[in-house]
Amino acid sequence: MLNRASGLVIGIVFGAMICWTGMINPDVILGALTFQSSYLFLFMGSAVGTGALGLFILRKRAPKAVLVDAKVAWKDDPPARRHVTGSLMFGVGWGIACVCPGPILAQLGQGIPWAIYSFVGVVAGVFIYLRRGSVETEPAGDHAAAQAAPAAAVN
Amino acid sequence: MLQQQLPWFIGGPVMGLCVVAARALFNGRLGVTGGFSEIISKVSRGSLSFDWRGWFALGIVVAGVGFALLAGQQSFQGYGWLTRTFAESSIWIPVILVASGLLIGFGAKTAGGCTSGNGLSGTSSLSASGILSTCVFFGTAIVVANIIQVVI
Repeated sequence: MLNRASGLVIGIVFGAMICWTGMINPDVILGALTFQSSYLFLFMGSAVGTGALGLFILRKRAPKAVLVDAKVAWKDDPPARRHVTGSLMFGVGWGIACVCPGPILAQLGQGIPWAIYSFVGVVAGVFIYLRRGSVETEPAGDHAAAQAAPAAAVN
Repeated sequence: MLQQQLPWFIGGPVMGLCVVAARALFNGRLGVTGGFSEIISKVSRGSLSFDWRGWFALGIVVAGVGFALLAGQQSFQGYGWLTRTFAESSIWIPVILVASGLLIGFGAKTAGGCTSGNGLSGTSSLSASGILSTCVFFGTAIVVANIIQVVI
């Protein structure tokens, strides 16, 4: 329960930032990708800087995770061909639609009708990937958390 | 106030802290595609018992609802270059958006992350695959967006 509530709260904070920073707006994304505005790059850079500092400290201290029965530790995937092919496909879609999965969800919440089309596309894309029985690609840390979550959610 | 773009030096660090919170709370990697994946795989098995990643994705939708209500309006009108280029009733807009969505969803799953999973979480943990993915999708999107800018 606490698990899910915490996930929801992080999502609300994350989604509020997507809206408030304008990342929800396709024109803001197009303006960034065509270098008319530096906002997106400064925004992403400061997000990564903050995240890197926090993760560095977590990795070093390796405390027990607050909501799951596991130590905070993770292994990063080594680069592989799929990172290039997948990101090429993703980049084409992102550049054309000027929207990525987070902003699509925020747009749906705001009741922006066009988001229904990109949402249907993303759901179909993920579904096809899962149906093909392709190997799970998201890093090991995700599985550890996903497997630990149901047990902890019982509490 | 909500109509004005939040300064990047506030929005960015708050996003970064979300990445850190997911790691500290669940030892998990924050990623929106992971949330999509969790919800889709559970729903296709007839279950609504989502883990934190599914609820994270739902939280973004909730934030969208709340933000529009508080601001008293949607964050933007039309849909960028698509509604400037095509008539709103044109079949091209749905076709382009669904096709882009397919590439986004399938591509993100193949690469193991989207702008959040690889772009924020992967690069924050200095993961070589996360950094590689981010460079590739940013580079690709920059090329595509500039072509669109020139053509339309």
